[in-house]
Amino acid sequence: MTRILLGLVAATMLAFSMVAAAQDAAPTDAGAASAESTAAAADEARSRDQFRGIDQDVQALKKEVLDLNRDLFLLEEELLFPANSQVAFFVSLDVGEYFELDSVSLKIDGKEVANYLYTAREVDALMRGGVQRVHTANLKTGRHEIIAIFTGKGPHVRDYRRGATLYFEKGIGAKYMELEITDRVKKQQPEFVIKEWE
Amino acid sequence: MTIRNAIFGLVLSISAATGLASSGLEGQPAPDFALKSSTGENLRLSEYRGDVVMINFWATWCGPCRQEMPLLDELYMRYQRVGFNLLGVNIDDDSYRAMQMIEELGVNFPVLFDSSKSVSELYEVEAMPVTVLVDREGTVRYVHHGYKPGYEDKYLDQVRSLLRE
Repeated sequence: MTRILLGLVAATMLAFSMVAAAQDAAPTDAGAASAESTAAAADEARSRDQFRGIDQDVQALKKEVLDLNRDLFLLEEELLFPANSQVAFFVSLDVGEYFELDSVSLKIDGKEVANYLYTAREVDALMRGGVQRVHTANLKTGRHEIIAIFTGKGPHVRDYRRGATLYFEKGIGAKYMELEITDRVKKQQPEFVIKEWE
Repeated sequence: MTIRNAIFGLVLSISAATGLASSGLEGQPAPDFALKSSTGENLRLSEYRGDVVMINFWATWCGPCRQEMPLLDELYMRYQRVGFNLLGVNIDDDSYRAMQMIEELGVNFPVLFDSSKSVSELYEVEAMPVTVLVDREGTVRYVHHGYKPGYEDKYLDQVRSLLRE
């Protein structure tokens, strides 16, 4: 009986000690696992931050490149055709029943700056409403003389050569001039006008 | 003026006979130009984009040009219907003599007049004749300075290869 009791006590004590040992071990494993997962999470967060940082850097760099490209383009335009001295000349043709355009010659202050020959296709485009930029120049502020000479076939298919003159004041800011050929029905003749665009 | 032209012509004819090397224009976009033609209309090179174009610079005082032009006319008549165009650019000061020569030779291709020599300068014409071949994209592919019998075979091969592209 005593032996049985002693055996039972021993078994109980053994069981208790085993449970105690198991309880001591469990927190150690859980700690290791949680420590590992914390480290992994931290690494992941770090790499996400790094990636976000690189991505932001790349986006910022792209924006800088685009801005630089735009600035260079504007600078190039300003250097080649400074806005304050730029003068552009356009040719337009209204109807064209009394005049078949062959060429336009442009003189600024007595110097020939443009001489353009028109093909049948180009004349057709003008008659359909197209406007052609025939010349771009840089002029100082002040008074200037424009002479435009139009050559072609006039009424009754005769050779026609007419000039139009305009004196204008070049101020600050770009200037746009239109060399317009229109049909003057009353006189049955073409009319050549140089106009300033406002 | 006549003696100067004659000496200039002689120098260019000698250069033509020897046949100079190719030009720096090959591989570059063909400079665009518009000139008045023998029929009175203005012709612009860029309006031929999509076709193979041969530009032949010539003058009335150039002997090899007289030899070459009828052969070029044959080429033109043969391949025009399949997208080949030939523009003869005359550089004489006086276009009347050029018109006479065109009638005498009986060529059919358009002839343009460059009396101001602005287009021949664009194409770096230093010898006579100069033949430039432009592809459908408007790029200069071949430049021939001068003419010797047999050159027309080279032209034929080159035109055919460009038409095939």
